[in-house]
Amino acid sequence: MESKSVMKAVNLKKKFKGFELSIPELHIPKGYATALIGENGAGKTTLLNLLTGIRLDYEGEILYFDGQEKLSGSVQERIGYTGPGSYFLPHWTVGQVEEISEVLFDGFHRDRFQAVCEELNIPTGVTKDVKKLSDGNRMKLMLAAVLARDTDLLILDEPASPLDPLMRDKLCDIIREYLEQGNGERSVFFSTHNIADMENVTDYAVIMENGTIVEQGFVEDLKEKYVSVKGEAADAERAEKILYTMNRSAYGFEGICLSENMDKLAGMDICVETPTLFQISVAVMKANTSLKF
Amino acid sequence: MKLLQNSGIPIYQQITDQLRADILAGRLKEGEYLPSIRSLAKDLKISVITTMKAYEQLEAEGLVTAAQGKGFYVNAQDSEMLREQHLRRVEEALLEAIHAAQVAGMTNAELQETLTALLECEV
Repeated sequence: MESKSVMKAVNLKKKFKGFELSIPELHIPKGYATALIGENGAGKTTLLNLLTGIRLDYEGEILYFDGQEKLSGSVQERIGYTGPGSYFLPHWTVGQVEEISEVLFDGFHRDRFQAVCEELNIPTGVTKDVKKLSDGNRMKLMLAAVLARDTDLLILDEPASPLDPLMRDKLCDIIREYLEQGNGERSVFFSTHNIADMENVTDYAVIMENGTIVEQGFVEDLKEKYVSVKGEAADAERAEKILYTMNRSAYGFEGICLSENMDKLAGMDICVETPTLFQISVAVMKANTSLKF
Repeated sequence: MKLLQNSGIPIYQQITDQLRADILAGRLKEGEYLPSIRSLAKDLKISVITTMKAYEQLEAEGLVTAAQGKGFYVNAQDSEMLREQHLRRVEEALLEAIHAAQVAGMTNAELQETLTALLECEV
């Protein structure tokens, strides 16, 4: 499937002691929700920090909105960002977050902020400091501050992690509604470990490992590229050479096979299924990790 | 529209099937626009790309046309093609019945008898 980019980057590099982020080419499609998936330490937050301009000390070039613009004040006005932890000062009250956001951003709507706070049931009492809010409520507050602005791109670093199941479901609704209102002009890019919870809202997936991108594509295309296979123990030996990743037990084997290799399994007694994004992600991460299994 | 998460039939396929049925049955009329992909995704609580794939399949079958920037509208259904589509569905369903009969070890005569009996019941 063809698509325009909301963000693209070439030869993106950032070195730390003992870790290097190196992405030859990055493309985040415009009009869709893209998930950034990867192990702890794979470089997800580093990548998001480069894209949002939190870190500027990198090599390479990042272009925004149809590949036209470099990061600038006016580009940042169109981007909403929520991060891990909280970027509000701990002693601010919810009311002060509202006042300060209005000063900081042009397109901030107080009525919309209050409506989202009420919808998400964020405690807004004068005595409630940001530091007294739970992790979940702090995330909801960041989302409210971001949704109250007129933006075309949301970059969310682990938005689902601190949220309960009900609120994760709500987060998916919020993302779908945001995309719908943009009618193809708005995009969302979020990192997550909660792939299964976010699968219903993920259009495009970017999987990172060891500082680079190891797989990316539209979820429906990935589901055609990989096949989930289950088979008998007698065939396990032969299948292990063909499958992309595999687990075996005394009862049989299961794993993920590339569609293009499916014909090599001919003659085996197997069952096949379309894999979920969760299964694909785990397989890709397993094939590229330095963790020992 | 009813979508089953664990039926083994991909979600996009379920959407295509139900919209195709609506178009062939005339519930969606010629020239009518399908809901925008993002609003359907929102209402069905599924991803945009899944809806997109369903619409693209309907387009490939010639049932709808994509209008740049305006979405997908229902094509005129020529009655010959419509009948052809229906016939194909009948054949598919019968083939499925034949396979089930083979699994059950029914003879051809038994299968034909069953069909005749069912036809009589329906009429």
